[in-house]
Amino acid sequence: MDLQIRNLLKTFNGFVALDRINLTVGDGEFVCLLGPSGCGKTTLLRIVAGLLPYDSGELLMGGRDLGGVPARDRGFGIVFQSYSLFPNMTVAENIGYGMKIRHAPRERIAARVAELLDLIKLPQVADRHPWQLSGGQQQRVALARALAVDPSLILLDEPLSALDARVRADLRTEIRDVQRRLGIPTIMVTHDQEEALVLADKVVCMNHGLIEQVGTPQDLYLRPRTRFVADFMGSSNLLPTGWVREAMPHLMPSRPDGAEAAFDACVRPERVSVTPAPGAEGRVIDLTFLGNIRRLRLAWRGRELLAETHQDPGVAPGEAVDVSVAADACAWVRA
Amino acid sequence: MTMPATPSAIPLNRSPARRARSSADERLLYGACVLVPVAALLLFFLFPLATIVWRSLVEEAGGVGPGNYLALFRTPGILRAVTNSLAVGLATTAVCLVLGFMVAYAVQRTRMPGKRFVSAALSLPLLAPSLVLGLGLIFLLGRNGLVSNLLGTRINIYGFSGLLIANVLYALPQAVLIIQAALRHSDARYYDAAEVMGATRWQQFTGITLPNVKFGLLSAGFVVFTVTITDFGNAVTIGGDFTVLATEIYNQVTGQMKFGIGAAVGILLLLPTGVAVYIERVAAQRQFGTGSESALPPVPDHVPARDVPLFLATMALALSIVAVVATVVFASFVRLWPYRLDLTTKHYAITLSGGYEPLWTSLGVSVAAAGIGTALLFALAFGLRRLPAAVAKTVYLLAVLPVGVPGLVLGLSYIFAFNLAGSPLHVLYGSALLLALCNFYHYHTQGFLTMVTGMRAVPPALEEAATCLGGGAVRVLGDVVVPVMVPTLLSVFFFLFMRSMVTLSAVIFLVTPSVTLGAVSVMRLDEAGFVSQAAAFSTCIMAVVAAAALAMRGAVTLATRRTVS
Ligand SMILES: Nc1ncnc2c1ncn2[C@@H]1O[C@H](COP(=O)(O)OP(=O)(O)O)[C@@H](O)[C@H]1O
Ligand SMILES: [Mg+2]
Repeated sequence: MDLQIRNLLKTFNGFVALDRINLTVGDGEFVCLLGPSGCGKTTLLRIVAGLLPYDSGELLMGGRDLGGVPARDRGFGIVFQSYSLFPNMTVAENIGYGMKIRHAPRERIAARVAELLDLIKLPQVADRHPWQLSGGQQQRVALARALAVDPSLILLDEPLSALDARVRADLRTEIRDVQRRLGIPTIMVTHDQEEALVLADKVVCMNHGLIEQVGTPQDLYLRPRTRFVADFMGSSNLLPTGWVREAMPHLMPSRPDGAEAAFDACVRPERVSVTPAPGAEGRVIDLTFLGNIRRLRLAWRGRELLAETHQDPGVAPGEAVDVSVAADACAWVRA
Repeated sequence: MTMPATPSAIPLNRSPARRARSSADERLLYGACVLVPVAALLLFFLFPLATIVWRSLVEEAGGVGPGNYLALFRTPGILRAVTNSLAVGLATTAVCLVLGFMVAYAVQRTRMPGKRFVSAALSLPLLAPSLVLGLGLIFLLGRNGLVSNLLGTRINIYGFSGLLIANVLYALPQAVLIIQAALRHSDARYYDAAEVMGATRWQQFTGITLPNVKFGLLSAGFVVFTVTITDFGNAVTIGGDFTVLATEIYNQVTGQMKFGIGAAVGILLLLPTGVAVYIERVAAQRQFGTGSESALPPVPDHVPARDVPLFLATMALALSIVAVVATVVFASFVRLWPYRLDLTTKHYAITLSGGYEPLWTSLGVSVAAAGIGTALLFALAFGLRRLPAAVAKTVYLLAVLPVGVPGLVLGLSYIFAFNLAGSPLHVLYGSALLLALCNFYHYHTQGFLTMVTGMRAVPPALEEAATCLGGGAVRVLGDVVVPVMVPTLLSVFFFLFMRSMVTLSAVIFLVTPSVTLGAVSVMRLDEAGFVSQAAAFSTCIMAVVAAAALAMRGAVTLATRRTVS
């Protein structure tokens, strides 16, 4: 089943939190809502869950209007950032809770719980209480609890952001695996662009209650359409039209028509190639070693550029370099 | 990882009609949660209060006007009582602040031994009716007290000095709790910074410690002042000829039937406590506004020059509290205090009509006050979260208002509100139920604030998770909110129970010869000259309350271990 969001408007006392959002979540699709804190991601997710009313617009699940359906009748699974396991219940009771509400027979609940504990790779914790689990384990259990009732949609609100980096990376892969296997459409909120790139079939980049761009991770990274998206999806060189015309004229043909200030060129740092050349125009300002990559700040034709390489570029700060950018390395973004 | 083999979940097939019904049921539930407690607040708090205001304006001749207030100035007893109350109130406050800061500092900021003993000793006065302290002092320092007997002289403890000591012992624990909380609220990094900058200990004390607790001190001062000028028990037992407002209001009403004047004094008593409560709340907000989540509590170090004198003084104080309370217990078991010290249980045969009946009534009333109170407060705190912010704020204000009304005034107002022949509310008058309600509303605010704090600690994500899994309001309540709230519910229950067991000031106006309470019996026995029996009865009350306190500790510990990390 797919979820369609049409012209969804949400205000808090006059403050527009979601400004006529349109979005489709296809069957089996993993959608990430990505954006800075306060842009309305959680608000959108909670509206979809039925936990928050909205002003106007439509929510359709498989063509059926969700407007009059309260959260508890929607049959969705939800996982929050933290602290959402019932502290008074064991892990097994937590996972079986949704089925118990549906009056499923005891044996069936037990079987399902065992199955899900296997699925989240925690078969031995059934009788523990939430506080006896680590943060990562708690989130796995929360996921299992959401999955127990065969939800038609899974909603994840920053489920990984309270965990430390290693656990986060592990759990990230696991969430993706489970979702792909079960094929349940999923919406996940995150403010971490890497997480969105790794997990999503479709990334929805939001800012100030508006959707800036929807697309595959590649689309958003390689072909950002706005300055905001370019900036948010990793670092980039954003170059004004006038300067590009002078310094990199070969990038101009791909520029859409529009006023001088309407578009900037976006060049990712790894697309800026740097070769040592004594007496060349470019100069290395400084060089940062980041493990797998090296980042250079360059002064070139009156601007500062950012470049990244995997190999040692063989230059030191202050030395002269040649700078070049391929014609297809540039995306034009709305300023 | 294996794919679940069985498609096992059962879909929720709720028809739209059933859905509409259940959401209407839910609204009904939330509505009732707020409406019932608010209606009860209006009927058993606001209505009596309005009545007492009104009665203070009804003149003896029949008209409406300020006659009663003007009459106050012409009643010499009242004027004296006001000055006496102010004098003893201010003196008690000053002494309590000094001693309270000393004890709180010693417990919180030094490494002296015996802190547990000090804390335990200081909680004793909270377990007993206030007049037990007066009683103990009389046993020790009274005309026929231990000290008079040993020295062969007759000390006169009755009056200002006795009342001052009794009040200090009674109010000190409350002051210490507040100041201790303020001291706990500091951050070790302030001190580390000062240390690095070269500040001496004394400079750190005057530059950081004192400014940081100034709101705590202010708030403790007001609490002590309020408690003192509205306390009834000690004034009756040890005040002697030194009349204060609390006793005067009692005489005017029950002795001389001057209800109008009684009401006017009641209104006057609202003023200082009202101001005190208001300032205390403002202060509390400022105090806690500065504390950050990540504060590191200061770790006390050992400074002999400071800790040894503090230890001696604090121990002396704690021991005197223990001595006063222990004397009461001991005196209840000796034949003729302090002349014939052979042990006997004869004083436990209460000769007052009714015997131990009032103790059982007290128990019943306290259980009822705690049960009704906990249920109503829980419903209110639960429903409040679903109300629109503006309405919730109004209800909140109403719910914290009772703290500004001294028990004495509340009790008096209940007479006016419920002792009206012909009114349907009259059936409640003289019943144990009304006593229970009066006790509950007397301590409504503290219970409510505890409940709200507990409710805030229920993570919203839990409720939402339960809702998304298909749980309705009742399920969310039963499976999520109540289990998390168990420790809070227990502590509110026991708080109301224990206060209800020992309070005297509100219920003194409401007891009748047939329905009377333990604390009142102690007072009557003391008035009738049966001091040893009064001691015996007090001992029984303290035993019940102490047992309840222990039970609460156990239950809360158990519940906390079961539910929270
Ligand atoms: N209950 C509320 N009342 C008023 N404003 C709210 C409420 N919830 C969220 N907002 C506002 O709506 C905006 C979006 O919030 P949210 O969806 O939580 O952002 P995020 O993208 O960080 O999850 C924020 O500016 C927030 O202040
Ligand atoms: Mg959020």
